Amino acid sequence: MQNTELTDDLFSPARSGAVEREKISRPMRSGFQDGWFRLKQNKGAVAALAILLVLVALAFLGPLLTKYDYYTTNYGAIFQSPSAEHWFGTDKFGRDQWARVWYGTRISLLIAVVAATLDLLVGVTYGSISALLGGRTDAVMQRIVEVLVGIPNLIIVILLMMVMPAGIGTLIIAMSISGWVNMARLVRAEILKLKNHEFVLAARLLDASNGQIILRHLIPNTVGVIVINTMFTIPSAIFTEAFLSFIGIGLQEPKASLGVLINSGFQVINSHPYLLFISAIVIVLIMVCFSILGDGLRDAFDPQMRV
Amino acid sequence: MKTYILKRIAYLFVTLLVIMTATFFLMHSLPGTPFDEDKISKLSPEQQRQIYASYGLDQPVHVQYFKYLGNVFQGDFGTSTLYAGHPVRNILMSRIVPSAIVGIQAVLIGLAIGLLLGVVAAYRHNTSLDYLTMVISVLGISVPNFVVAALLQYLFGLKWGLLPVAYWESYSSSVLPSLALSFGVIAQIARFIRTEMLTVLQQDYILMAKSKGLSPVRILLRHALRNSMLPVLTILGAITVNVLTGSLAVESIYSVPGIGSLFVDTIKANDYSTIIGLTVFYSAFYVVVILIIDLLYCVIDPRIRLASAKE
Amino acid sequence: MKKLAAMLLAMTILLSGTAGCNSFTGKSGETSGGTESGAAQTKSVSFYLENEIPTLDQFAASDNIAFNVLNNISEGLYRLDTNNVPQPALAEKCDVSEDKLSYTFTLRDGLKFSNGDPITSKTFKETWLKQMKADTKNNYAFIMTDYIVNGMEYSEKKMDADKVGLETPDDKTLVVKLKAPTPYFLSLTAFVPYYAVDMDFYKNKGADYALNKDNLVYSGPYMLSQYDAAAGATLVKNPNYWDKDSVKVDTVTIKIIKEQSTALNLYKAGQLSRVKLSATDVPSYKDDKEFTTHSIYRTNFIQFNTTAEGTKNVNIRKALSMAIDNNTLMSTILNNGSEAANGVVPKGMSSGIAGKTFGSLQGTLTSFNAEKAKEYWEKGVKELGGTIPQITLVLDDDTENKDVGTYLQSQFKSVLGIDVTLDSKTKEARRALMKSGKYQMGLNAWGADYDDPMTYLQIWTENTNSFRGNFKDTDAANDYANLIKAAHSEKDTEKRADFLLRAEKSLIVDNAVVAPLYYMGSAYLVKSNVKNLVEPNSGILELKYASVE
Repeated sequence: MQNTELTDDLFSPARSGAVEREKISRPMRSGFQDGWFRLKQNKGAVAALAILLVLVALAFLGPLLTKYDYYTTNYGAIFQSPSAEHWFGTDKFGRDQWARVWYGTRISLLIAVVAATLDLLVGVTYGSISALLGGRTDAVMQRIVEVLVGIPNLIIVILLMMVMPAGIGTLIIAMSISGWVNMARLVRAEILKLKNHEFVLAARLLDASNGQIILRHLIPNTVGVIVINTMFTIPSAIFTEAFLSFIGIGLQEPKASLGVLINSGFQVINSHPYLLFISAIVIVLIMVCFSILGDGLRDAFDPQMRV
Repeated sequence: MKTYILKRIAYLFVTLLVIMTATFFLMHSLPGTPFDEDKISKLSPEQQRQIYASYGLDQPVHVQYFKYLGNVFQGDFGTSTLYAGHPVRNILMSRIVPSAIVGIQAVLIGLAIGLLLGVVAAYRHNTSLDYLTMVISVLGISVPNFVVAALLQYLFGLKWGLLPVAYWESYSSSVLPSLALSFGVIAQIARFIRTEMLTVLQQDYILMAKSKGLSPVRILLRHALRNSMLPVLTILGAITVNVLTGSLAVESIYSVPGIGSLFVDTIKANDYSTIIGLTVFYSAFYVVVILIIDLLYCVIDPRIRLASAKE
Repeated sequence: MKKLAAMLLAMTILLSGTAGCNSFTGKSGETSGGTESGAAQTKSVSFYLENEIPTLDQFAASDNIAFNVLNNISEGLYRLDTNNVPQPALAEKCDVSEDKLSYTFTLRDGLKFSNGDPITSKTFKETWLKQMKADTKNNYAFIMTDYIVNGMEYSEKKMDADKVGLETPDDKTLVVKLKAPTPYFLSLTAFVPYYAVDMDFYKNKGADYALNKDNLVYSGPYMLSQYDAAAGATLVKNPNYWDKDSVKVDTVTIKIIKEQSTALNLYKAGQLSRVKLSATDVPSYKDDKEFTTHSIYRTNFIQFNTTAEGTKNVNIRKALSMAIDNNTLMSTILNNGSEAANGVVPKGMSSGIAGKTFGSLQGTLTSFNAEKAKEYWEKGVKELGGTIPQITLVLDDDTENKDVGTYLQSQFKSVLGIDVTLDSKTKEARRALMKSGKYQMGLNAWGADYDDPMTYLQIWTENTNSFRGNFKDTDAANDYANLIKAAHSEKDTEKRADFLLRAEKSLIVDNAVVAPLYYMGSAYLVKSNVKNLVEPNSGILELKYASVE
């Protein structure tokens, strides 16, 4: 063991100004950039994103790849199995299933986006305001939720059908009435748990407004639950649409969505199973990708997951 | 605590009254009447007038409403028009039991398997077990339950002959519908538990517990699981109500005489009394479940003080 | 958490416990073995209904599901045989007066309900008087008040019961006075609302009547041994039935099964004697020896609104009618035993002339002709001022109607080059819309109440209904109404038939008020050991003649 004696002359003061001292050598990244960077590291999420983009592209371009369209019937070619002529076969009206599946995907994706947006905008805002303000506001807001859930949706839907033309617009309005309720309750529960944490207290001490606390502090910490619930909202919205279309509101023939295709495929599951399976595979694929991507997003954006 | 619960119960009745009133007026503004109008139109105008009068439908809607309200306060929900002559109460009672048996079993199966899968997936994060759970969960939510139901019926009922194909005859009739319904429940619970657990396992108190030398099982169950239950509990409320009020598709595939189809059939037939009775039952159930869950929040997570809800 | 789980568990056990005694319908012996193996000891058949049994109170029952059960546990003066001809049942015979306005029924000796109460002519009089009251829940008052003297006045509370044309000179004789000659009156007495009800028992039970098997008495071949509106019923032979020796099946199990694929699976598992096939299953079973088809008196058609934009022009209506190829609709879309319609009256329906069906006299009124359709369309458009009308078709929201609608839409597109919009609604909403006249064309259907063309043809002359299509107050509509009126009072069967034939032709060909599409039918698989499980054209199941080998 040899000790080297340290003398003052071995050191010299670093010449740096105040600016230099505060400089962060790695490039500055906003929260969003940071998340994006993390997401790119996650191979599964990137693959899921890529497949989703392909599905979206097919939803818009797929019908153009075949000479058939989604509505022309051909009673000489009903229930054809998939072939070189009809890639996904034909349905009971002889309509090309390839065109119908991708057209349906487009409608279902639109519904998924609307449902998710509604969840994120209305559900998250409602839930967080209710939880953060608490007291009487919370009580009233929660009772409103109970009333919305209590009145059977179907009655409202049939009434809507009277005053509005059947179609995708009416459908979206019908689904919007109570579609966001679960998200609101979930976010409320999470924020009730978080609102007494030290970091909220700290933010309050620093004179942050309620809006800032919700946006900057609380919502990032509930992102896990939000992402997972969105995962469940999307398929349930797609199937609710199918149900509503089935009972008359919403899409009218010859328009189709994945839910409608699955419903009508199910009716012929014994004799022509391909009609069910092809549309089911597309929806499962969409869900798997959304799910993996969602997990990736959560890992990337949830501050508690940063190790 | 006591005053809080009493207050909530008072609210509960107000909520139910609002729901009932809204449903009553919405139902009465639906197009058509509770009758087969094609048949009614074969009667003379005077005969038609007598029919409407005998149901009190010739009076203004608000008069009908207060009359109905009076009856409800005496516990009389009226008689059905679709199931002509049957008291609404009898219809509800006989239809709820099968749905409830199937529903409760589905929730219990879903909860047990879902919790197990979720905990294991989080504990073995990024292993093949985790991926398997993910796959089950994604399939559980993206494959509609009527497809699962038909598949189970074909395999267990027809091909292997292990369980009844359909029809409500004995306890074994309830097994397949419960299994079919539990798929979605498993998926949701497994996903929520896994997500919450992953966050919780990062927390300092878990590290603390580890460093105290607690066994992994104890840490998982006593510390991690308890703190991950909150979103599961929230979602469990909605799941329970949905599942117990019956699934139209699963009930019709297995011919379960439940309330799943009652909603759709009676709304479509403008059966005012039955629909309102059903709505009151359904929302009462929902509101009570929510109350229980709100109370359980503070049992599960001591950090949520009821005080914060009272302030 | 543990407590919660324990609570839920306790609830399940509790529920399963109670389930054991009352919720499950209980396995009846023959179901496990299936019909084949059970046939040796007790002869049993089992079939299913596609919806809950709404009620078994005859005064409240108004649909075929309820009639399917009631028809077999109750009996009328007459009952339809396997060829759709009314045969004496509780009545031994019936004498019709010269002017065809008075029917004298003589009842059999010693008729009894299942509880031992006697069935007399007064039973019928009381039952029918109750049925004629306007507020009787099944809304079927018209099925009597339209025919029986002073029935309408009694129903509207303008006259007392003793003025009604029903007389009971003694316990075995019932004299019925009719307003006009009614060739189909005997088949009316074979329709459920005309059946015998034990009125003392009925009054005794009050609101609880028919709510369970013990609150009912039976006059028909069978009686209930088990009944749950949502799950089904079990029928056993009625020991007090007058003709019990010709009832060959001991037990009939009726299950409520809403899903066609489920029913098919149960049939394959040997738990059903008969199953209806969906159109898509037909090709796979077409050559099976158990396969059979059957069509009933129910016609589906397009109703045009004769005053709405576009369809007010008769040439537009003719063009739309001619653009439809009923045969393709049958062979590709429905494919389930339904038959392409030649007219609005089902072709097998009686014309009133012995040995001749209405269809054989009328021939085919519908015609698919793409070129002519196009011609009419252009002519119509010119008459409308050159603008091509936008047309919407309203329809019910079930699979069959939607399939038909989709087919029609594609047909209008390919033949006439127009885009017709579909607007599907719940049945109630669609009816309300059509009754208010705010539509252009709609898919509608009518099932016969009795075996005579009048059940169809008079609906275009009645009060406001969802059929009328505003076909009134024009010369054409008045001519049509006059033909129906003339037929109503005509005593000569051939002349009457002629009026009706002309009326149908004017409705479909000349005025194109309706475009007939198909007569509803079904394809079935029936177990080969079950014979004579027949459904007359009314669509109401007849179990009396069934037998098991």
